Amino acid sequence: MFTQNVAQAKQPYRTDAYLDTFQMFSGVALILFMWSHMVLVASVNLGSRVMNSIAHFLEATYLAQIGGPMIALIFLAHFVMAARKIPFNYKEQKAMWTHSVRLNHLDTWLWIVQAVTGMIILIMGSIHMWTVLTDLPITAAKSAARIQGGWWLVFYMMLLPVIELHVGVGFYRLGVKWGWITRSNRKSLKNFENRLTIGFITIGLITLFTFYFIIKAA
Amino acid sequence: MGRQLKFNIFRYNPEDPKSVPHMESFDLEETEAMTLYIALNRLREEQDPSLQFDFMCRAGICGSCAMMINGRPDLACHTKTKNLPDEINLMPLPVFKLIGDLSVDSGTWFRAMNEKVQSWVHTDKPFDPNAEEEPMDNQLAEEIYELERCVECGCCVAACGKANMREDFMGAAAFNRIARFMMDPRDERTGTEYFEVVGNEEGIFGCLGLLGCEDVCPKEIPLQDQLGMLRRKMGWQSIRHLFSRLLPD
Ligand code: HEM
Ligand code: SF4
Ligand code: SF4
Ligand code: FES
Repeated sequence: MFTQNVAQAKQPYRTDAYLDTFQMFSGVALILFMWSHMVLVASVNLGSRVMNSIAHFLEATYLAQIGGPMIALIFLAHFVMAARKIPFNYKEQKAMWTHSVRLNHLDTWLWIVQAVTGMIILIMGSIHMWTVLTDLPITAAKSAARIQGGWWLVFYMMLLPVIELHVGVGFYRLGVKWGWITRSNRKSLKNFENRLTIGFITIGLITLFTFYFIIKAA
Repeated sequence: MGRQLKFNIFRYNPEDPKSVPHMESFDLEETEAMTLYIALNRLREEQDPSLQFDFMCRAGICGSCAMMINGRPDLACHTKTKNLPDEINLMPLPVFKLIGDLSVDSGTWFRAMNEKVQSWVHTDKPFDPNAEEEPMDNQLAEEIYELERCVECGCCVAACGKANMREDFMGAAAFNRIARFMMDPRDERTGTEYFEVVGNEEGIFGCLGLLGCEDVCPKEIPLQDQLGMLRRKMGWQSIRHLFSRLLPD
Protein backbone atom coordinates (compact mmCIF):
# COMPACT_ATOMS: atom_id res chain seq x y z
CA MET A 1 0.00 0.00 0.00
CA PHE A 2 2.57 2.47 1.15
CA THR A 3 5.02 1.83 -1.68
CA GLN A 4 2.19 2.15 -4.19
CA ASN A 5 1.44 5.62 -2.89
CA VAL A 6 5.05 6.62 -3.26
CA ALA A 7 5.16 5.26 -6.79
CA GLN A 8 2.03 7.17 -7.74
CA ALA A 9 3.13 10.42 -6.18
CA LYS A 10 4.99 11.22 -9.41
CA GLN A 11 1.80 12.53 -11.00
CA PRO A 12 -0.03 15.39 -9.27
CA TYR A 13 -3.69 14.68 -8.60
CA ARG A 14 -5.88 16.51 -11.06
CA THR A 15 -9.37 16.08 -9.65
CA ASP A 16 -9.74 19.73 -8.55
CA ALA A 17 -8.68 20.90 -11.99
CA TYR A 18 -11.12 18.58 -13.78
CA LEU A 19 -14.01 19.54 -11.53
CA ASP A 20 -13.35 23.24 -11.93
CA THR A 21 -13.04 22.97 -15.70
CA PHE A 22 -16.26 21.00 -15.94
CA GLN A 23 -17.90 23.52 -13.64
CA MET A 24 -16.96 26.12 -16.23
CA PHE A 25 -18.42 24.05 -19.06
CA SER A 26 -21.61 23.42 -17.10
CA GLY A 27 -21.91 27.18 -16.47
CA VAL A 28 -21.41 27.98 -20.15
CA ALA A 29 -23.93 25.32 -21.18
CA LEU A 30 -26.51 26.66 -18.74
CA ILE A 31 -26.01 30.25 -19.89
CA LEU A 32 -26.48 29.21 -23.52
CA PHE A 33 -29.54 27.25 -22.52
CA MET A 34 -31.02 30.20 -20.62
CA TRP A 35 -30.59 32.43 -23.65
CA SER A 36 -32.32 29.92 -25.94
CA HIS A 37 -34.99 29.47 -23.30
CA MET A 38 -35.59 33.22 -23.29
CA VAL A 39 -35.93 33.23 -27.08
CA LEU A 40 -38.50 30.43 -26.94
CA VAL A 41 -40.59 31.93 -24.17
CA ALA A 42 -40.35 35.54 -25.33
CA SER A 43 -41.50 34.49 -28.80
CA VAL A 44 -44.99 34.50 -27.28
CA ASN A 45 -44.82 38.28 -27.50
CA LEU A 46 -45.05 37.83 -31.26
CA GLY A 47 -48.23 35.79 -30.78
CA SER A 48 -49.07 32.32 -29.43
CA ARG A 49 -48.72 30.86 -32.94
CA VAL A 50 -45.02 31.71 -33.03
CA MET A 51 -44.33 30.17 -29.63
CA ASN A 52 -46.40 27.08 -30.42
CA SER A 53 -44.59 26.46 -33.67
CA ILE A 54 -41.18 26.76 -32.01
CA ALA A 55 -42.34 24.41 -29.23
CA HIS A 56 -43.76 22.03 -31.81
CA PHE A 57 -40.51 22.06 -33.75
CA LEU A 58 -38.57 21.23 -30.58
CA GLU A 59 -40.87 18.31 -29.85
CA ALA A 60 -41.16 16.97 -33.39
CA THR A 61 -37.37 16.84 -33.59
CA TYR A 62 -37.26 15.33 -30.08
CA LEU A 63 -35.05 18.21 -28.95
CA ALA A 64 -37.40 18.86 -26.03
CA GLN A 65 -37.67 15.23 -24.96
CA ILE A 66 -33.92 14.67 -25.07
CA GLY A 67 -32.72 18.21 -24.35
CA GLY A 68 -35.02 18.69 -21.36
CA PRO A 69 -33.65 15.82 -19.30
CA MET A 70 -30.12 16.66 -20.46
CA ILE A 71 -30.48 20.20 -19.19
CA ALA A 72 -31.85 18.75 -15.95
CA LEU A 73 -28.71 16.62 -15.69
CA ILE A 74 -26.37 19.54 -16.39
CA PHE A 75 -28.36 21.56 -13.86
CA LEU A 76 -27.79 18.85 -11.27
CA ALA A 77 -24.11 18.45 -12.16
CA HIS A 78 -23.58 22.20 -12.01
CA PHE A 79 -25.21 22.30 -8.61
CA VAL A 80 -22.97 19.53 -7.27
CA MET A 81 -19.79 21.15 -8.61
CA ALA A 82 -20.65 24.73 -7.65
CA ALA A 83 -21.86 23.68 -4.19
CA ARG A 84 -18.28 22.60 -3.42
CA LYS A 85 -17.51 26.31 -3.17
CA ILE A 86 -20.37 27.18 -0.83
CA PRO A 87 -19.35 27.01 2.82
CA PHE A 88 -21.69 24.69 4.64
CA ASN A 89 -20.02 24.86 8.03
CA TYR A 90 -20.78 27.67 10.41
CA LYS A 91 -17.20 28.82 10.94
CA GLU A 92 -16.59 29.44 7.24
CA GLN A 93 -19.99 31.01 6.70
CA LYS A 94 -19.37 33.40 9.53
CA ALA A 95 -15.87 34.22 8.27
CA MET A 96 -17.25 34.98 4.80
CA TRP A 97 -20.07 37.11 6.16
CA THR A 98 -17.85 39.09 8.55
CA HIS A 99 -15.39 39.62 5.71
CA SER A 100 -18.07 40.83 3.26
CA VAL A 101 -19.54 43.29 5.75
CA ARG A 102 -16.09 44.59 6.70
CA LEU A 103 -14.69 44.96 3.19
CA ASN A 104 -17.99 46.10 1.62
CA HIS A 105 -16.71 45.36 -1.86
CA LEU A 106 -19.16 44.84 -4.72
CA ASP A 107 -17.63 41.75 -6.33
CA THR A 108 -17.42 40.06 -2.94
CA TRP A 109 -21.12 40.75 -2.25
CA LEU A 110 -21.96 39.45 -5.71
CA TRP A 111 -20.52 36.09 -4.79
CA ILE A 112 -22.89 35.85 -1.83
CA VAL A 113 -25.70 36.82 -4.20
CA GLN A 114 -24.59 33.99 -6.45
CA ALA A 115 -24.49 31.39 -3.71
CA VAL A 116 -27.92 32.40 -2.34
CA THR A 117 -29.62 32.69 -5.75
CA GLY A 118 -28.08 29.34 -6.68
CA MET A 119 -29.77 27.61 -3.75
CA ILE A 120 -33.11 29.26 -4.60
CA ILE A 121 -32.77 28.19 -8.24
CA LEU A 122 -32.06 24.64 -7.11
CA ILE A 123 -35.49 24.48 -5.49
CA MET A 124 -37.58 26.71 -7.75
CA GLY A 125 -35.89 25.58 -10.96
CA SER A 126 -36.56 21.94 -10.10
CA ILE A 127 -40.24 22.66 -9.44
CA HIS A 128 -40.52 24.55 -12.71
CA MET A 129 -38.77 21.86 -14.76
CA TRP A 130 -40.87 19.10 -13.25
CA THR A 131 -44.10 20.96 -13.93
CA VAL A 132 -43.28 21.72 -17.56
CA LEU A 133 -41.59 18.45 -18.53
CA THR A 134 -44.33 16.24 -17.05
CA ASP A 135 -46.98 18.19 -18.93
CA LEU A 136 -45.66 18.14 -22.52
CA PRO A 137 -46.37 19.40 -25.11
CA ILE A 138 -45.53 23.00 -24.30
CA THR A 139 -48.21 25.36 -25.61
CA ALA A 140 -48.76 29.06 -25.06
CA ALA A 141 -52.31 28.42 -23.87
CA LYS A 142 -51.22 25.95 -21.17
CA SER A 143 -48.51 28.31 -19.93
CA ALA A 144 -50.97 31.20 -19.91
CA ALA A 145 -53.44 29.12 -17.90
CA ARG A 146 -50.80 28.43 -15.27
CA ILE A 147 -49.72 32.05 -15.02
CA GLN A 148 -53.26 33.40 -14.97
CA GLY A 149 -53.96 31.11 -12.03
CA GLY A 150 -52.04 33.67 -9.95
CA TRP A 151 -49.65 31.56 -7.90
CA TRP A 152 -47.42 30.76 -10.84
CA LEU A 153 -47.25 34.46 -11.67
CA VAL A 154 -45.86 35.12 -8.19
CA PHE A 155 -43.52 32.15 -8.60
CA TYR A 156 -42.13 33.38 -11.93
CA MET A 157 -41.88 36.98 -10.73
CA MET A 158 -39.53 35.68 -8.05
CA LEU A 159 -37.64 33.18 -10.20
CA LEU A 160 -36.99 35.63 -13.05
CA PRO A 161 -34.77 38.17 -11.23
CA VAL A 162 -33.13 35.42 -9.18
CA ILE A 163 -32.04 33.46 -12.24
CA GLU A 164 -31.04 36.51 -14.28
CA LEU A 165 -28.88 37.74 -11.41
CA HIS A 166 -27.27 34.33 -11.08
CA VAL A 167 -26.63 34.06 -14.81
CA GLY A 168 -25.37 37.65 -15.04
CA VAL A 169 -22.98 37.37 -12.12
CA GLY A 170 -21.95 33.89 -13.25
CA PHE A 171 -21.15 35.09 -16.75
CA TYR A 172 -19.00 37.92 -15.42
CA ARG A 173 -17.27 35.66 -12.92
CA LEU A 174 -16.54 32.98 -15.53
CA GLY A 175 -14.78 35.67 -17.54
CA VAL A 176 -12.77 36.82 -14.55
CA LYS A 177 -11.83 33.36 -13.34
CA TRP A 178 -10.68 32.12 -16.73
CA GLY A 179 -8.93 35.33 -17.67
CA TRP A 180 -11.09 36.49 -20.58
CA ILE A 181 -12.00 39.52 -18.54
CA THR A 182 -8.77 41.37 -17.77
CA ARG A 183 -7.86 44.49 -15.87
CA SER A 184 -8.11 46.55 -19.04
CA ASN A 185 -11.61 45.48 -20.12
CA ARG A 186 -13.17 44.65 -16.74
CA LYS A 187 -15.10 47.87 -16.33
CA SER A 188 -16.68 47.93 -19.75
CA LEU A 189 -17.52 44.22 -19.73
CA LYS A 190 -19.10 44.51 -16.29
CA ASN A 191 -21.17 47.39 -17.58
CA PHE A 192 -22.20 45.39 -20.61
CA GLU A 193 -23.10 42.45 -18.38
CA ASN A 194 -25.26 44.65 -16.14
CA ARG A 195 -27.13 46.00 -19.12
CA LEU A 196 -27.62 42.49 -20.47
CA THR A 197 -29.07 41.38 -17.14
CA ILE A 198 -31.46 44.33 -16.95
CA GLY A 199 -32.41 43.69 -20.59
CA PHE A 200 -33.25 40.05 -19.90
CA ILE A 201 -35.27 40.91 -16.79
CA THR A 202 -37.23 43.46 -18.84
CA ILE A 203 -37.95 40.99 -21.63
CA GLY A 204 -39.00 38.45 -19.00
CA LEU A 205 -41.39 40.91 -17.35
CA ILE A 206 -42.92 41.85 -20.70
CA THR A 207 -43.37 38.16 -21.45
CA LEU A 208 -45.09 37.51 -18.13
CA PHE A 209 -47.34 40.51 -18.83
CA THR A 210 -48.25 39.03 -22.22
CA PHE A 211 -49.03 35.64 -20.67
CA TYR A 212 -51.14 37.19 -17.94
CA PHE A 213 -53.17 39.71 -19.92
CA ILE A 214 -53.05 38.86 -23.60
CA ILE A 215 -52.73 35.13 -24.30
CA LYS A 216 -55.94 33.13 -24.14
CA ALA A 217 -55.64 30.42 -21.49
CA ALA A 218 -56.42 26.81 -22.25
CA MET B 1 -6.56 74.82 13.17
CA GLY B 2 -6.73 71.35 11.62
CA ARG B 3 -9.61 68.93 11.71
CA GLN B 4 -10.25 67.07 14.94
CA LEU B 5 -9.77 63.39 14.07
CA LYS B 6 -11.16 60.53 16.09
CA PHE B 7 -9.26 57.23 15.90
CA ASN B 8 -10.94 54.01 17.00
CA ILE B 9 -8.14 51.52 17.36
CA PHE B 10 -8.28 47.82 18.03
CA ARG B 11 -6.44 46.95 21.26
CA TYR B 12 -5.43 43.51 22.41
CA ASN B 13 -2.27 42.00 23.74
CA PRO B 14 -2.33 38.20 23.38
CA GLU B 15 0.72 37.97 25.69
CA ASP B 16 -1.23 39.47 28.58
CA PRO B 17 -3.81 37.08 30.07
CA LYS B 18 -5.75 40.03 31.50
CA SER B 19 -6.08 41.75 28.12
CA VAL B 20 -9.44 41.53 26.30
CA PRO B 21 -9.93 42.59 22.66
CA HIS B 22 -11.65 45.99 22.51
CA MET B 23 -11.72 49.26 20.57
CA GLU B 24 -10.14 52.32 22.11
CA SER B 25 -10.72 55.91 20.96
CA PHE B 26 -8.12 58.65 20.60
CA ASP B 27 -8.51 62.27 19.51
CA LEU B 28 -5.85 64.01 17.47
CA GLU B 29 -5.65 67.27 15.59
CA GLU B 30 -4.88 66.86 11.91
CA THR B 31 -1.72 68.54 10.63
CA GLU B 32 -0.72 69.28 7.08
CA ALA B 33 0.18 66.31 4.86
CA MET B 34 -0.52 63.95 7.75
CA THR B 35 -0.28 60.25 6.99
CA LEU B 36 -1.51 57.46 9.24
CA TYR B 37 2.17 56.78 9.93
CA ILE B 38 2.57 60.25 11.39
CA ALA B 39 -0.73 60.07 13.25
CA LEU B 40 0.01 56.70 14.88
CA ASN B 41 3.47 57.79 15.95
CA ARG B 42 2.07 60.92 17.54
CA LEU B 43 -0.55 58.89 19.37
CA ARG B 44 2.16 56.60 20.69
CA GLU B 45 4.42 59.47 21.72
CA GLU B 46 1.80 61.76 23.17
CA GLN B 47 -1.01 59.55 24.42
CA ASP B 48 -0.21 55.87 24.84
CA PRO B 49 3.32 54.43 24.62
CA SER B 50 1.96 50.87 24.73
CA LEU B 51 0.26 51.15 21.32
CA GLN B 52 1.65 48.46 18.98
CA PHE B 53 1.98 48.85 15.19
CA ASP B 54 4.63 48.18 12.56
CA PHE B 55 6.62 50.53 10.37
CA MET B 56 9.98 50.43 8.66
CA CYS B 57 10.44 52.35 5.44
CA ARG B 58 7.43 54.73 5.70
CA ALA B 59 7.61 54.96 1.91
CA GLY B 60 5.45 52.06 0.72
CA ILE B 61 8.43 49.80 0.09
CA CYS B 62 8.79 47.39 3.00
CA GLY B 63 5.13 46.35 3.29
CA SER B 64 5.12 46.16 7.08
CA CYS B 65 2.50 48.82 7.86
CA ALA B 66 -0.57 47.22 6.24
CA MET B 67 -3.73 47.43 8.34
CA MET B 68 -7.50 47.63 7.96
CA ILE B 69 -8.31 51.30 7.47
CA ASN B 70 -12.06 51.83 7.73
CA GLY B 71 -12.51 48.19 6.73
CA ARG B 72 -10.13 48.23 3.78
CA PRO B 73 -6.61 46.86 3.83
CA ASP B 74 -3.99 49.42 2.84
CA LEU B 75 -0.52 50.70 3.75
CA ALA B 76 -0.73 53.15 6.64
CA CYS B 77 2.37 55.03 5.58
CA HIS B 78 1.00 56.07 2.21
CA THR B 79 -2.54 56.77 3.42
CA LYS B 80 -3.15 60.48 3.89
CA THR B 81 -5.62 61.44 6.61
CA LYS B 82 -7.04 64.18 4.39
CA ASN B 83 -8.57 61.45 2.22
CA LEU B 84 -10.30 59.90 5.23
CA PRO B 85 -13.41 60.96 7.16
CA ASP B 86 -13.21 62.53 10.65
CA GLU B 87 -13.62 59.16 12.27
CA ILE B 88 -11.03 56.52 11.39
CA ASN B 89 -11.29 52.86 12.40
CA LEU B 90 -8.05 50.92 12.50
CA MET B 91 -7.94 47.14 12.82
CA PRO B 92 -5.15 44.62 12.34
CA LEU B 93 -5.16 42.58 9.11
CA PRO B 94 -7.29 39.43 9.43
CA VAL B 95 -5.96 35.97 8.43
CA PHE B 96 -2.45 36.68 9.84
CA LYS B 97 -1.43 35.91 13.41
CA LEU B 98 -1.94 38.85 15.75
CA ILE B 99 1.11 40.09 17.60
CA GLY B 100 -0.70 42.88 19.43
CA ASP B 101 -3.01 45.82 18.62
CA LEU B 102 -2.38 46.65 14.94
CA SER B 103 0.70 44.51 14.54
CA VAL B 104 0.44 41.12 12.79
CA ASP B 105 2.97 38.49 11.85
CA SER B 106 2.85 38.43 8.07
CA GLY B 107 6.49 37.27 7.86
CA THR B 108 5.75 33.68 8.85
CA TRP B 109 2.91 33.49 6.34
CA PHE B 110 4.98 34.85 3.48
CA ARG B 111 7.93 32.66 4.31
CA ALA B 112 5.71 29.58 4.19
CA MET B 113 4.21 30.82 0.94
CA ASN B 114 7.60 31.36 -0.67
CA GLU B 115 8.69 27.90 0.40
CA LYS B 116 5.52 26.38 -0.96
CA VAL B 117 5.83 27.99 -4.39
CA GLN B 118 9.61 27.45 -4.29
CA SER B 119 10.16 31.04 -5.06
CA TRP B 120 13.51 30.89 -6.77
CA VAL B 121 14.80 30.24 -10.29
CA HIS B 122 15.07 26.47 -10.77
CA THR B 123 17.86 25.55 -13.10
CA ASP B 124 20.31 22.70 -13.60
CA LYS B 125 22.81 24.88 -15.43
CA PRO B 126 26.05 25.08 -13.44
CA PHE B 127 26.70 28.61 -12.24
CA ASP B 128 29.86 30.21 -13.54
CA PRO B 129 30.61 33.38 -11.58
CA ASN B 130 33.10 34.55 -14.23
CA ALA B 131 30.79 34.19 -17.22
CA GLU B 132 29.07 37.21 -18.64
CA GLU B 133 25.45 37.54 -17.61
CA GLU B 134 22.99 36.32 -20.20
CA PRO B 135 21.05 39.25 -21.60
CA MET B 136 17.26 39.28 -21.29
CA ASP B 137 14.86 40.93 -23.67
CA ASN B 138 14.09 44.36 -22.25
CA GLN B 139 10.32 44.08 -22.60
CA LEU B 140 10.30 40.69 -20.86
CA ALA B 141 12.50 42.02 -18.09
CA GLU B 142 10.03 44.81 -17.54
CA GLU B 143 7.08 42.47 -17.52
CA ILE B 144 8.77 40.33 -14.89
CA TYR B 145 9.67 43.40 -12.90
CA GLU B 146 6.04 44.48 -12.92
CA LEU B 147 5.21 41.35 -10.88
CA GLU B 148 8.38 41.56 -8.80
CA ARG B 149 7.13 44.79 -7.27
CA CYS B 150 5.08 42.93 -4.64
CA VAL B 151 6.12 44.21 -1.19
CA GLU B 152 4.51 41.26 0.66
CA CYS B 153 2.25 43.54 2.66
CA GLY B 154 -0.58 40.99 2.83
CA CYS B 155 -3.37 43.38 1.78
CA CYS B 156 -4.47 41.04 -1.01
CA VAL B 157 -4.72 38.15 1.44
CA ALA B 158 -6.70 40.20 3.96
CA ALA B 159 -9.10 41.27 1.17
CA CYS B 160 -9.64 37.71 -0.07
CA GLY B 161 -12.90 36.02 0.89
CA LYS B 162 -11.45 32.60 0.27
CA ALA B 163 -8.36 33.23 2.41
CA ASN B 164 -10.66 34.46 5.19
CA MET B 165 -12.63 31.21 4.97
CA ARG B 166 -9.81 28.75 4.37
CA GLU B 167 -6.46 28.92 6.08
CA ASP B 168 -4.84 26.65 3.49
CA PHE B 169 -5.71 28.89 0.52
CA MET B 170 -2.54 30.16 -1.15
CA GLY B 171 -3.77 33.63 -2.04
CA ALA B 172 -3.09 36.10 -4.81
CA ALA B 173 0.43 37.03 -3.69
CA ALA B 174 1.44 33.40 -4.19
CA PHE B 175 -0.20 33.23 -7.63
CA ASN B 176 1.63 36.39 -8.58
CA ARG B 177 4.94 34.84 -7.52
CA ILE B 178 4.34 31.70 -9.55
CA ALA B 179 3.31 33.75 -12.59
CA ARG B 180 6.56 35.64 -12.24
CA PHE B 181 8.65 32.46 -12.41
CA MET B 182 6.57 31.03 -15.24
CA MET B 183 7.51 34.09 -17.28
CA ASP B 184 11.19 33.75 -16.49
CA PRO B 185 13.03 31.82 -19.24
CA ARG B 186 15.81 30.92 -16.79
CA ASP B 187 13.41 28.84 -14.68
CA GLU B 188 13.39 25.32 -16.10
CA ARG B 189 10.36 24.02 -14.25
CA THR B 190 7.87 22.13 -16.44
CA GLY B 191 4.15 22.76 -16.66
CA THR B 192 3.52 19.65 -14.56
CA GLU B 193 5.81 20.94 -11.83
CA TYR B 194 3.94 24.23 -11.68
CA PHE B 195 0.67 22.31 -11.79
CA GLU B 196 1.71 20.31 -8.76
CA VAL B 197 2.09 23.53 -6.78
CA VAL B 198 -1.00 25.50 -7.87
CA GLY B 199 -3.29 23.17 -9.82
CA ASN B 200 -5.60 22.37 -6.92
CA GLU B 201 -8.27 23.71 -4.63
CA GLU B 202 -5.74 25.29 -2.22
CA GLY B 203 -4.25 26.92 -5.28
CA ILE B 204 -5.77 28.56 -8.32
CA PHE B 205 -8.90 26.38 -8.50
CA GLY B 206 -9.94 27.56 -5.05
CA CYS B 207 -9.97 31.18 -6.20
CA LEU B 208 -13.53 32.48 -6.39
CA GLY B 209 -12.69 35.41 -8.64
CA LEU B 210 -13.92 38.01 -6.18
CA LEU B 211 -11.06 40.36 -7.06
CA GLY B 212 -10.76 41.77 -3.57
CA CYS B 213 -7.02 41.27 -4.08
CA GLU B 214 -6.95 43.17 -7.36
CA ASP B 215 -8.94 46.06 -5.93
CA VAL B 216 -6.84 46.65 -2.81
CA CYS B 217 -3.24 45.93 -3.82
CA PRO B 218 -1.41 49.15 -2.87
CA LYS B 219 1.23 48.50 -5.52
CA GLU B 220 -1.48 47.97 -8.16
CA ILE B 221 0.06 44.74 -9.32
CA PRO B 222 -2.09 43.22 -12.09
CA LEU B 223 -3.24 40.32 -9.90
CA GLN B 224 -6.45 39.72 -11.84
CA ASP B 225 -4.54 39.00 -15.03
CA GLN B 226 -2.23 36.51 -13.28
CA LEU B 227 -5.19 34.65 -11.73
CA GLY B 228 -6.95 34.34 -15.08
CA MET B 229 -3.80 33.25 -16.88
CA LEU B 230 -2.97 30.62 -14.25
CA ARG B 231 -6.44 29.09 -14.22
CA ARG B 232 -6.56 28.93 -17.98
CA LYS B 233 -3.12 27.37 -18.26
CA MET B 234 -3.68 24.87 -15.46
CA GLY B 235 -7.19 24.04 -16.65
CA TRP B 236 -6.17 23.36 -20.25
CA GLN B 237 -3.19 21.41 -19.06
CA SER B 238 -5.41 19.08 -17.07
CA ILE B 239 -7.73 18.63 -20.05
CA ARG B 240 -4.80 17.81 -22.33
CA HIS B 241 -3.62 15.29 -19.77
CA LEU B 242 -7.09 13.74 -19.61
CA PHE B 243 -7.21 13.33 -23.38
CA SER B 244 -3.73 11.88 -23.55
CA ARG B 245 -4.86 9.29 -21.01
CA LEU B 246 -8.05 8.53 -22.92
CA LEU B 247 -6.36 8.39 -26.31
CA PRO B 248 -2.93 6.86 -25.77
CA ASP B 249 -0.77 7.21 -28.86
C1 HEM C 1 -29.11 24.12 -9.17
C2 HEM C 1 -28.99 25.25 -8.57
C3 HEM C 1 -27.75 26.08 -8.68
C4 HEM C 1 -26.85 26.29 -7.68
C5 HEM C 1 -26.92 25.77 -6.27
C6 HEM C 1 -25.82 27.12 -8.21
C7 HEM C 1 -24.73 27.58 -7.49
C8 HEM C 1 -23.68 28.25 -8.02
C9 HEM C 1 -22.54 28.73 -7.29
C10 HEM C 1 -22.32 28.60 -5.81
C11 HEM C 1 -21.69 29.29 -8.16
C12 HEM C 1 -20.35 29.94 -7.82
C13 HEM C 1 -19.25 28.98 -8.05
C14 HEM C 1 -17.92 29.62 -7.84
O1 HEM C 1 -17.83 30.78 -7.43
O2 HEM C 1 -16.90 28.94 -8.10
C15 HEM C 1 -22.29 29.18 -9.44
C16 HEM C 1 -21.72 29.62 -10.61
C17 HEM C 1 -22.39 29.71 -11.81
N1 HEM C 1 -23.70 29.35 -12.07
FE1 HEM C 1 -24.88 28.38 -10.81
N2 HEM C 1 -26.08 27.39 -9.51
C18 HEM C 1 -27.28 26.79 -9.84
C19 HEM C 1 -27.94 26.83 -11.05
C20 HEM C 1 -27.50 27.54 -12.15
C21 HEM C 1 -28.24 27.72 -13.36
C22 HEM C 1 -29.63 27.16 -13.64
C23 HEM C 1 -27.45 28.46 -14.19
C24 HEM C 1 -27.69 28.97 -15.56
C25 HEM C 1 -28.79 29.20 -16.07
C26 HEM C 1 -26.22 28.73 -13.51
C27 HEM C 1 -25.16 29.42 -14.03
C28 HEM C 1 -23.97 29.63 -13.39
C29 HEM C 1 -22.78 30.18 -13.99
C30 HEM C 1 -22.63 30.61 -15.41
C31 HEM C 1 -21.80 30.22 -13.00
C32 HEM C 1 -20.34 30.66 -13.14
C33 HEM C 1 -19.55 29.39 -13.28
C34 HEM C 1 -18.27 29.37 -12.53
O3 HEM C 1 -18.00 30.29 -11.75
O4 HEM C 1 -17.53 28.40 -12.72
N3 HEM C 1 -26.28 28.16 -12.26
N4 HEM C 1 -23.49 28.55 -9.34
S1 SF4 D 1 0.38 41.48 -4.27
FE1 SF4 D 1 0.01 43.61 -3.64
S2 SF4 D 1 -1.36 43.44 -1.89
FE2 SF4 D 1 -0.49 41.42 -2.22
S3 SF4 D 1 1.26 41.32 -0.86
FE3 SF4 D 1 2.02 42.00 -2.86
S4 SF4 D 1 1.96 44.24 -2.77
FE4 SF4 D 1 0.73 43.50 -1.07
S1 SF4 E 1 -9.79 36.77 -6.87
FE1 SF4 E 1 -9.18 34.87 -5.85
S2 SF4 E 1 -7.32 35.39 -4.76
FE2 SF4 E 1 -8.31 37.35 -5.32
S3 SF4 E 1 -9.56 37.89 -3.55
FE3 SF4 E 1 -10.80 36.67 -4.90
S4 SF4 E 1 -10.68 34.56 -4.24
FE4 SF4 E 1 -8.99 35.72 -3.35
S1 FES F 1 6.26 51.47 6.40
FE1 FES F 1 7.12 50.33 4.75
S2 FES F 1 5.40 50.10 3.47
FE2 FES F 1 4.61 51.37 5.03
